Amino acid sequence: MIEVKQLCKDYGNIRAIDNVTFSIQKGDVVGFLGPNGAGKSTTMKIITGFMAPSSGSASVAGFDVFENPIEVKKRIGYLPETPPVYSDMFVRDYLRYVASLKQVDKAKINSFVDRAIEKTNLNQVSHRLIHHLSKGFKQRVGIAQAIVSDPEVLILDEPTVGLDPKQVAEIRDLIKELRGQHTIILSTHILPEVQATCERVVIINKGKIVAQDTIQNLSTLERGQGKVFIRLRKEIQDLAGLLKEVQGVIGVDNGANKKEWKVDYKGDEEVIGRVSEKIVSSGLGLIELSPSKVDLEDVFLKLTYGSDNKIESSEKSAQVSSHVTV
Amino acid sequence: MSNILTIAFKEFKSFIKNPTFYIMMTLLTLILSALFTMQLQRFFQMGAMAMMQPGAAGQANIHYAVFLNHLQILNLILIFIVPAITMRLFSEEKKLRTFDLLLTCPLKSYEIVIGKYIGALLALFVIFLIAFLYPLGTALFAKLNWAPLLIAFLGIYLIAAVYAAMNLFCSSLSESILISYVTSAILNIAVWFVSQAVEFADTQWARNFLEHISLSFHISGLIEGTIRTNSLIYFFSAIGLFLFLNERVVESHRWR
Repeated sequence: MIEVKQLCKDYGNIRAIDNVTFSIQKGDVVGFLGPNGAGKSTTMKIITGFMAPSSGSASVAGFDVFENPIEVKKRIGYLPETPPVYSDMFVRDYLRYVASLKQVDKAKINSFVDRAIEKTNLNQVSHRLIHHLSKGFKQRVGIAQAIVSDPEVLILDEPTVGLDPKQVAEIRDLIKELRGQHTIILSTHILPEVQATCERVVIINKGKIVAQDTIQNLSTLERGQGKVFIRLRKEIQDLAGLLKEVQGVIGVDNGANKKEWKVDYKGDEEVIGRVSEKIVSSGLGLIELSPSKVDLEDVFLKLTYGSDNKIESSEKSAQVSSHVTV
Repeated sequence: MSNILTIAFKEFKSFIKNPTFYIMMTLLTLILSALFTMQLQRFFQMGAMAMMQPGAAGQANIHYAVFLNHLQILNLILIFIVPAITMRLFSEEKKLRTFDLLLTCPLKSYEIVIGKYIGALLALFVIFLIAFLYPLGTALFAKLNWAPLLIAFLGIYLIAAVYAAMNLFCSSLSESILISYVTSAILNIAVWFVSQAVEFADTQWARNFLEHISLSFHISGLIEGTIRTNSLIYFFSAIGLFLFLNERVVESHRWR
């Protein structure tokens, strides 16, 4: 459905994306993942025909984005980072306008607009000025705008950014609902969103693709590795020093304070036993020890921020996990 | 074609739904009303004087004495109102990122430009309808010669169309509404000063050239009620030139 080959884009001297190649099958829901400024939006803009690449090619449904942009644009629904809504229009009028720009049959415009309003739950505001809507509703109008022409491909650039948790959940449900009818590309830097909605992930960092696979494969990328969370009664300055001799421990990270630690290990459960034994015998008072699998988050952080900088990555990890708890 | 009309009607609708447009039209009506009645009154005084001095009657002509002044005032107002109408068409879209929508819809660049241009022309047509009310009112108690009047209105409308094309181009250059307004207004004023340069031109060739590119030279025929093809060609090529430049600017967004 979507073929991207050796795509490069330079903004002056800065190379925004570098040799990006991937392909997406019909009906896939693909998460486009990367830290801010990784080149997610640029790639998406190129696929939509909004912008031309410096080199390389992209095609949608067999049409080259640059040789046949009109055909490509007919098949794409695009939600940019800022929803492109006219604040002086009514929701329904706006959607009708977009539908006719997308060359929906005149006879079908009304039913398509109704369907988009239905799916995005905009019924109660469809006769209000967009100017008066809250940010969440504006975002939903943006999504309605993208799906109003019933496009084959849906490209959503950070669809949940700036929304409250309930709205985020609603938008995720909506994306799940759209799954199957459309090929969806979704960009985000929020991991749970990808885990909740996507089947495949493309991870991009500094303009380069660092991984692309199914979520299942990525999560088990580092087989045999694990992580345990440890809460102690007493503070300890350097748990890493204490656990240095324990065989199988490969990394120790500090959590929120000196009583909470995360320990990476390689091997089976015996390692956990040895760790707990060591802690208990040194009289630190083990309150909690909970094992957790290596999840997408770790893979993501390892791939994008690099494993050499453990401290930084654990900080980021704390940030990202705060998204989960929100 | 349907895309052009979709955009044109959308733009026109957002003009006439916008309170700012009504404020502008009200102020325009106030100025025109005040000045038109003054002109008319002066004309009647002149007429009364001519009655007492037989022989001078032939010189008093309502077309020259009243309507041309009316249109000149309208032209002066247009220099400042046309930028206000066109400034939002591209600048605001770019600023609010709604331009992304147009660029990712299956539209060609020229469809966007012409659509918006027609939208602006429709809004300007409202101004001309308002301005035309004054001669129409005068016709209630005077016998008018309609043909030269309509041609004079057409002439000023063509000028407004040239302004609109230039100003739409200015609007496409900037994300700032203020910059697009100021550059537009200055450009509108500047085209009138080209005729001033005619006096200072050294050679006959330069004089002819400057005369031909000056708006005032071409409008003088139309405003008196004569249609010259070279003037029409001048107006349409000026419109065509600026719409073409505008289309290039829009197109450049795709490869920048």
